[in-house]
Amino acid sequence: MSQKIEDIFNECLECLLKGESIEDCLKAYPEQAPELEPLLKTSSALIQKSAAIQATPEFKARAHSQLQKMLYAKREKAERKARILIWHRKWAVAMTSVLLILFVGIGTVTVSANALPDEPLYPVKLAVEQARVTLAFSDTGKAKLHTQFAERRAGEMTEMARQGKIDKISILTEEIAKHLDKVCVVEATEKIAKVPSKAPTLTPSPPPTPALTPSSRAETYDGEKGAEKLKITLSQSKAETLDTLRNALDKAPEELKPRLKQAIAQVAKDYDETISIIESGSSP
Amino acid sequence: MSIEEYVVSQAIKGDGQAFGQLYEEHFDKIYRYIYLRLGNQAEAEDLTQEVFVKALEAIGSYKWRNLPFASWLFRIAHNQIIDYLRKQGKVEKVDWDDNIAHIDGPNPAFIAEQKLEVEKLADKIEKLSPAQREVISLRFGAELSTAEAAKALGKSPGTVKALQYNGIAALRKMMLGDR
Repeated sequence: MSQKIEDIFNECLECLLKGESIEDCLKAYPEQAPELEPLLKTSSALIQKSAAIQATPEFKARAHSQLQKMLYAKREKAERKARILIWHRKWAVAMTSVLLILFVGIGTVTVSANALPDEPLYPVKLAVEQARVTLAFSDTGKAKLHTQFAERRAGEMTEMARQGKIDKISILTEEIAKHLDKVCVVEATEKIAKVPSKAPTLTPSPPPTPALTPSSRAETYDGEKGAEKLKITLSQSKAETLDTLRNALDKAPEELKPRLKQAIAQVAKDYDETISIIESGSSP
Repeated sequence: MSIEEYVVSQAIKGDGQAFGQLYEEHFDKIYRYIYLRLGNQAEAEDLTQEVFVKALEAIGSYKWRNLPFASWLFRIAHNQIIDYLRKQGKVEKVDWDDNIAHIDGPNPAFIAEQKLEVEKLADKIEKLSPAQREVISLRFGAELSTAEAAKALGKSPGTVKALQYNGIAALRKMMLGDR
């Protein structure tokens, strides 16, 4: 099949564009040469004419300057966008970290609520308890919390007894005693705080007036009412704690029972002393 | 990856130097192509600038499809020309002027003869069909190969060769008719 004339012309034109002469380009196609030669001459003229078309140096400089300005503006825009993105990313990282810490913290605190003395989260549980005591609004509230925590220690003692961990029983007995001591201390602090303050004076203070002012009478009444409530709370707590410990005693291994009996007796004594102190209205 | 593909990929990522390299490489060809299509220096300058502005704006969304980068630029240039002519209510014409048609050569008699020939040729170019004129502009102005011109125009290489052949033949015929 013979080659199309436009294909042959294209091949010759390619030769011409590469810088070869019309004669050289036509050597391979002698038969088509008469037809192609004039067309290649026209093409040659076009090539020369086109090569002469050049943008003026002024325009080139102007266009180049405009391009530089545009590239600069584009880079500025991209950098601004990147800065905003970095800021957003930093902010997102910070927020995620805060939330993570918060969730991990809440999770840890929640899980630690059931921790036992021989578990890693037990110190967290004690720290949370301490924080609750610190954040309690009133001294009565603090005393109630200490009573509640004494009950908790008794619950932990039950579990330790079940697991046969005798050393923990002694420690927990001491912890219960400490909580009950703190109930007395808190109660005493509340009473002292409710005594009307006196202005500092260099002269010796006059002897106390036996007659009570209406306001001090009211405070005494309130203090007595609070002590009474606390006494009831402690009595209920004592009953529940001793119940719990006696149940534990029934289920405890035989070798643990003497130590547990001792602990129950000690806890009962500590409760009685605390209740007695509250009743008498004085701290030890 | 070819060098051009690498440079284009850098320009896509926002590398100003890479875009500058593409600009330097194609600026003259784009200008020549537009000039051959419109035949007016001022219009060719304005549109050449607009082509590169458009290219810079759109380079971020450019997708490499194994086509020469020039194809994309000439497509932008072609669309700019069409839009421009539509806005101006003009038809394509080639207004060859002496400012551009200066041909360097050692022999002044030869130069004069060539210049005359080219001017005669130029007068006839505007009488070509738009498709022929576009192919002639891409082949002689932008110096694209037949395959590249075909890709830029979205036509087959055979069609481009036929348009090229018929365009040159028509030009030649018109010139002979003048004699």
